[in-house]
Amino acid sequence: MVFNSLTFIVFFALLLLLHRLPLPWTAKKVNLLLASYVFYAAWNPPFVLLLWISTAIDWTAARRVYEARSVRARRGWLVVSLAVNLGFLAFFKYGEFLLRNWQALVSSFGVEYVPPAWNIILPVGISFYTFQTMAYTLDVYLGRSKPLDSLLDFSLFVTFFPQLVAGPIVRPGQLVPQFARPVQATRDQLLWGLALMTLGLFMKVVIADSGLAASADAVFGSDKPVGFADAWLGTLAFSGQIFCDFAGYSTIAIGAALCLGFALPDNFRMPYAAIGFSDFWRRWHISLSTWLRDYLYIPLGGNRGSEARTYVNLMLTMLLGGLWHGASWTFVVWGGLHGFYLASERWIRGRTGVHGDPAGAWNRIALALTTYLLVNVTWVFFRAETFEGAARILAGMAGLAAEPVAVLPTVFMVKVAVIVTGIVATHWLMRKRSLDAVVARAPWWLTGLVLAAMLFAVITTQGSGEAFIYFQF
Amino acid sequence: MELHADEVTRRAIPATRWGTAWWLAVAVVIAGIGAWEWKMRSLGLRAGDLDDSKSHWAVERRKVATGGHDGVVIIGSSRILFDTSLDVWQELTGLRPIQLALPGTNPRPHLKDLAENSDFAGLLLVGVAPDIFFTDWPGIPVFAGLVDFWHEETPSSRFGHRLGLLLQRRLAFIEDDYRLGTLIDRAAPFEDREGVRGPIRDVWKIFENGDDRQTTLWRRIETDERLRDHARWVWGPFSGEPRIEDADAARIIAETKRHVDLIRARGGEVVFIRAPSAGLYLESENQGQPRARTWDPLLAETAAYGIHFEDHESMRNLTVPEWSHLSAESQRVFTREYVRLLVDNVPWLGRRRDGASEP
Repeated sequence: MVFNSLTFIVFFALLLLLHRLPLPWTAKKVNLLLASYVFYAAWNPPFVLLLWISTAIDWTAARRVYEARSVRARRGWLVVSLAVNLGFLAFFKYGEFLLRNWQALVSSFGVEYVPPAWNIILPVGISFYTFQTMAYTLDVYLGRSKPLDSLLDFSLFVTFFPQLVAGPIVRPGQLVPQFARPVQATRDQLLWGLALMTLGLFMKVVIADSGLAASADAVFGSDKPVGFADAWLGTLAFSGQIFCDFAGYSTIAIGAALCLGFALPDNFRMPYAAIGFSDFWRRWHISLSTWLRDYLYIPLGGNRGSEARTYVNLMLTMLLGGLWHGASWTFVVWGGLHGFYLASERWIRGRTGVHGDPAGAWNRIALALTTYLLVNVTWVFFRAETFEGAARILAGMAGLAAEPVAVLPTVFMVKVAVIVTGIVATHWLMRKRSLDAVVARAPWWLTGLVLAAMLFAVITTQGSGEAFIYFQF
Repeated sequence: MELHADEVTRRAIPATRWGTAWWLAVAVVIAGIGAWEWKMRSLGLRAGDLDDSKSHWAVERRKVATGGHDGVVIIGSSRILFDTSLDVWQELTGLRPIQLALPGTNPRPHLKDLAENSDFAGLLLVGVAPDIFFTDWPGIPVFAGLVDFWHEETPSSRFGHRLGLLLQRRLAFIEDDYRLGTLIDRAAPFEDREGVRGPIRDVWKIFENGDDRQTTLWRRIETDERLRDHARWVWGPFSGEPRIEDADAARIIAETKRHVDLIRARGGEVVFIRAPSAGLYLESENQGQPRARTWDPLLAETAAYGIHFEDHESMRNLTVPEWSHLSAESQRVFTREYVRLLVDNVPWLGRRRDGASEP
């Protein structure tokens, strides 16, 4: 079920009630686990089987890895875990993509091959929970942690509903110890959790869906060349939409977990105020970027080898990170562009010796805006469904579109300009501050009024329960 | 170790008077929503006017699959949807049709679905709005994918729909066309750019919807000149140029015939209904999709019974406030008239009309 639905409100209210009943801790954890299965099954009940298989495989594999006497056996069990998890991804997410590319490859050698129709439904959130379970087995294999003693705790770690389908991707060490002892949210935790959920819903329902989605859809859905203003505003709209959609989800997830007494890590830290791309990736989808760093970039050698090898590792990590987002070459290009940006930044910093933020406020602002504009170029490949579509938008952004047509109504242009300026300005003003600190400094009545305004806007905007963008990944 | 960002997560709670802040927030929201509800009711919205969502439609579609396969089913666009009274149908025949017509949507994909992917063997009424039926335009995006949606709908969505109905029966402000964001878009005082259709040219609220998808033209369209004129303006521009090519019409009719034949082969029947339109809209349809090139060959090729409002005196002078849909009163008259004709002319209905009052 999606967070922005009436079904979730009822589900969550019942679960909160259940969790506050005077039951033994194990019973409460079982309740949470069953509720998480219900949460997932509410999309498509049979896909709960995938969760069970993933849980069972990694539970077993990690134990066997730990107990194995020989390197070969340890590797073998690791391969089992990787094969099952990546196999799920390959089949459900990349099956059609692989077939289509195979078809293109063999046809380039003159072989006629028509792949079978691929009517496989993508299980929601599969990329998130497979990465989470793989991290557990990898940690045991790499000697970073021991296997868990409790299957219940491990199952809950894999399935815990707030972060199950769109992250944050949580490491065992971040969450599992919280299951060890009975926890119940304090009154302030509960109310702060509800405040975070309100903020997340506001970002999703009011800003992303109601404020920006239509503009992005209109521009990226156009099959005709679009002009400079439309192309830029459509792309800026998408930059705001995807941030508010995804960060909104993470904020609701963090809030929901907190209401139950659990803490999930931050997934975003004002990314559009980033100065440079390494800074951007410390602020955007933090749980994925750290996952890729720890389980891909560093095992590849990280920056421990030659300069050239470091650049190769960087590019490989970002290309695969791009592919993680979707079974399309446009996502690979998106990742490749980010890899190129990171590599370029590394090269420039290495040559100039400038590390950290540059001196001077205007320099920082100029670099932050440059970073944001270049990030927007990557969003074109992320949002466009084809390279032709991406080329159309990029031509418009460069002012090179031939006979462009107007796409955006004036009111949408004004909305995008106002909202995106607001988002970027907010990120800049809060670049070095946390939301917690800002709220702590605000008078209580202002917090109350802001909450009321957001809730009122969410209720009167309603929304039709559109799914979050990252569910498809 | 460098890798470990995975110490147990802790979250700080900002120190503020959370209880007081939330009490203030809840009080302000209750007052605000109360005022909003009052304002929406004063604009003519009412509780019990249900959202005609995909889920609402899917409930009806599933009725066909679970026992309604030999009943009466209506598909079409908004005209047959707004212009049919299910109560009058039931009163006259003892049968309550399943209403599957959709605003701004081409019924042909639904005809195809019922013909090819179901065991439907009942009476199918196909509403023909010429400027939609005789095109390859599938319809407005909001209803895209419904042919698959009804059996793929998630349990969460089904449950959410039930909860939504509970609220919609009690609160008037839950209305797609009166969402805060929609109102802002439509009220913004900006001129549209050349060639762009902005929210001002969207179809604003024109109907009310109830159980069984009984849909009726919104009363304010009959009484509020500004809203009525806006709706007429939205239906334009009326170019008046002939648009349909004979080859396209022939292809569409041949495809339709194939599907009609499939339903007939199972013992079902298909009839076509051309509901009234008026004013510039009717003129435009007559020029763009002239009856001689569309409606007449459709009936001739499919050998189906059809009711065209222009052929019946009792249907010609009905009230069509915004040129495309009948008023609430005319809806009942039109339904009564066309059901009488069906009873007299469609043997399938004659056979099934058991226990009904005499029309």
